[in-house]
Amino acid sequence: MSHSVVYSATVTNRPPAIEVTGLCKTYFRAFRRQGSDALRGVDLTVPEGSAFGLIGPNGAGKTTFIKSILGIVQPTAGTVRVLGGSPEDPRIRARIGYLPERLHLPGSWTATAFLATVARLKGLQPEPAAHLKLLERVGLAEAAGRKIGGYSKGMRQRLGLATALLGAPALLILDEPTDGIDPMGRVEVRRILQEEVQRGTTLFLNSHLLAETERVCDRVAILAQGRVVREGRLEELARGAARWQARFAPGADAGALEAAGLQRAETEGLFRIDADGPATLNAALDKARATGALLVELKREGADLEAVLVGTVGVAA
Amino acid sequence: MENHRRRWIWVGLAALLFILAALLMFTGQGDDAAIAQEPSVEFPRRMRSQDRLRADQRRTFIMPVDAGTRAEGPPRPRDPVLAALPRGEGHTAVVIEANAVRNSPLGELLMDCLMRDGGKPLDEFRRVSGLDPLQDLDRIVITDEGLILSGNFAKARFKELLGERTSADYGQGARVYEPGAMSVPLADGGTMRGQMGSSVGTWNDQMMVVGRSSDSVKTVIDRMEGRGSDEPPAISENSTYGEMYGVLGVEQMAKILAADQPELAQRLRDVAQNVELHMDTRSDVALVAEIRGPDAEKVTDLGKSLGAALSVARLKAQAQDDKTLAQLMDFARVEPDGNSFKLEMAVPIDVIRERLAWCRQPPDTTDAGQ
Amino acid sequence: MKPVLGIAAYVLREAASRKFILAFLVGITLVLAVVALSLRIEVIDGALAATRLFGDVIPTSIRAVDVALRPVFKAAAFIVFYGGIVFGIVACSDFAPGLLSPGRIEHLLALPLRRWHLLAGTFLGVMTLALGGTVYGAGGLTLIFGVKTGYWTLGPLIAGVLACVGFAAVYAVMLTTATFVRSAALCAAAGGLFLVGGIIAGFRQQLSRFFEAGLGRNAFEAVTLLLPRLSALAMAAADLAASTPPQIRSLGLLLVGVFVFGLGALVVGFWRFEGKDY
Repeated sequence: MSHSVVYSATVTNRPPAIEVTGLCKTYFRAFRRQGSDALRGVDLTVPEGSAFGLIGPNGAGKTTFIKSILGIVQPTAGTVRVLGGSPEDPRIRARIGYLPERLHLPGSWTATAFLATVARLKGLQPEPAAHLKLLERVGLAEAAGRKIGGYSKGMRQRLGLATALLGAPALLILDEPTDGIDPMGRVEVRRILQEEVQRGTTLFLNSHLLAETERVCDRVAILAQGRVVREGRLEELARGAARWQARFAPGADAGALEAAGLQRAETEGLFRIDADGPATLNAALDKARATGALLVELKREGADLEAVLVGTVGVAA
Repeated sequence: MENHRRRWIWVGLAALLFILAALLMFTGQGDDAAIAQEPSVEFPRRMRSQDRLRADQRRTFIMPVDAGTRAEGPPRPRDPVLAALPRGEGHTAVVIEANAVRNSPLGELLMDCLMRDGGKPLDEFRRVSGLDPLQDLDRIVITDEGLILSGNFAKARFKELLGERTSADYGQGARVYEPGAMSVPLADGGTMRGQMGSSVGTWNDQMMVVGRSSDSVKTVIDRMEGRGSDEPPAISENSTYGEMYGVLGVEQMAKILAADQPELAQRLRDVAQNVELHMDTRSDVALVAEIRGPDAEKVTDLGKSLGAALSVARLKAQAQDDKTLAQLMDFARVEPDGNSFKLEMAVPIDVIRERLAWCRQPPDTTDAGQ
Repeated sequence: MKPVLGIAAYVLREAASRKFILAFLVGITLVLAVVALSLRIEVIDGALAATRLFGDVIPTSIRAVDVALRPVFKAAAFIVFYGGIVFGIVACSDFAPGLLSPGRIEHLLALPLRRWHLLAGTFLGVMTLALGGTVYGAGGLTLIFGVKTGYWTLGPLIAGVLACVGFAAVYAVMLTTATFVRSAALCAAAGGLFLVGGIIAGFRQQLSRFFEAGLGRNAFEAVTLLLPRLSALAMAAADLAASTPPQIRSLGLLLVGVFVFGLGALVVGFWRFEGKDY
């Protein structure tokens, strides 16, 4: 709770980490008049210090959005402000750590050499000891002197993460950071990301692993067909579902329960109750029990991100 | 928007750079023909087609019909000048193609010098001798026996000049004048008399021979008319290329070198048999001297020594900042070829033109400086 | 300038790890070693008296060693110039497309660099590579002949630098091509095309006579006026290598002109790169 107090104070005094208004991107191809719209007026604000997840179906425009906020793709319309400035400003980009979806790493280099080169390009003083520490943090200490060409996919991804973390950036933009990493590794990566958020870094995460997003992020935006269709704190999004699941002991009269206003689910003994508040829910349960049915389990339905996404995108479609 | 503006700046800058580049390259390379070309010299190394044609046209002498008394020998040259040359090894004979030189760029430059004061000496010579050297003289041959001139001497005033001498007809159309008095008519109508220690021979208004004695002149005329030794002449017909050609006796060559390079002169005496010279003046002045000797190894060593001497001379010229000489020595080289080697040297015509520039200026402006 | 140098170092590091480039350096070393070991030159008082290659006498004239070596240095200059450019076109054709490849370009563009820094850095890196190779080869040749003959000249090195300037113009075109089409083959083709164009441009005055006076000739002269005059530069390089005066009006202007053309081509690349999405 104390964390949210600090967060509120920060939001009040500092600009958002990412502020996008009316962002449109249309890709044009040579000799074709009509282009294809990747983004169709995206409005999004990512508060500083938050862990923000961007989710959406394939082709929703997530990668284009990330590239737009990094200045890699130039918007057709709209404005993008990152860390209070333009993403085209190198001074702003110096404060961003980015891990692309498919980072190309030079196979004949060692991890330390690669980190030193990227550090130099970021305008940082190469510090071999700090780089080794960073590699240790992402679990690559033993492989630091080996050529990258011999790394597994997961090791490459860890190195990419280490590269993004170089220079303690104020904003971390990670595109599929746990792609190819084993379950144990994912736990480590999650820990690192949580440490970074606790340090005050804004995290902008795009991952198709919704469970990861759910575990790491406190805010989520759903992008579909080039638009942000839902955005907010994770619990708020999940809370939006006013449906409950009630399981009754075998022998319950299904017909009587339906007559009492409950909806039969796919499994025997499982029923759904639509209730917008505790009073309505208890009233429905009283009616059900009055039929002689014995309640054995009650839980809120659709609280996970997957359900939110499916529900939202389904509605949007 | 900032990006859009920056892109326009790049376009403008690119256009500016392309224009500047075109301008710089155009000026830098230079698109006119005024740029000095690297001097390249053509050396007389073999008979060229025009030399061959010239040699063919000079086969004018028809041998008298032999009654069968003369033994079959090697074919004798039918060019009277070649036939007149000394026979056998060790002689010196150098032919200057006076007419060809006169019509070469070098000749033009020399003519400028000759005509600088209006050509008075030339006019005087024409008046006295009846000959126009620019028109009537074809070849000049210098041998170790004397001098042979070929051309058209029909208008020559031999009788006026040498009339007081004892003379006699000799062979087929030759007349030989003994050494003696020579009278030169002066412009004011008087006559200047003098003594000339050389014998002079004329042959069919085509040839004039100057020798130490009447016997040496007669020997030359004998050779010219197909008599005398069966040995080949000092210069074979196949060696008549260039505007000056001939052979130098080793001794004469050594004498030339002795003053500056006594050691080299002695080595030349020891190693070489003869030296064949060819000079080309058709564009630049290029000289090839072929030095031949019996011992291939010694000849090659001599060639190396000569090459080294030329290199040292060039370095010396460079050290003394004598650019002209250094440039001339650039062309100097020795081409070894077994028991002979060729020494090649050249003077670009531009260098000669530069050196003789004073000839093209009025006498009063340059005399003080020359 | 620091980011440009950083990218140049990145490109050089990438090049150093390429077997092709390493093979090239080994190749140059082998050629130099073979020349050094197999060539015997006899010099007397500054005159090249005899030359033996693999023990066999090469029929050469005896003349001042610098004059005698002129054809050798000229030939070496032409080989360095044209051979170097052709090798550069082949070996460096995929540097820019590689740099602009997905997964790498996004990462680079997200770094605190201006876009033109990337192209300028790549250009600088490749030029450093070209200059290094040239200095190594031409310097080695100068060293070998210097030691063997006692004649020391900077001519071949200067010729090598000229070759690098020629390559700069060609590579700038290749780099710019990569911003339009990310294809190593097309980059190499564009480089080859400009090399041929550059050779023609150097002889534009002589070649224009083959065109009928009028539109054809004017068009030819206009196009070749803009192209880098590589053959003129190559001949100047050969003259310099042989320590003879170049047969052009001003080597400095020509050299700067060719380089400025390269910069112009590079700036076209900047323009394209600034407006491109990756």
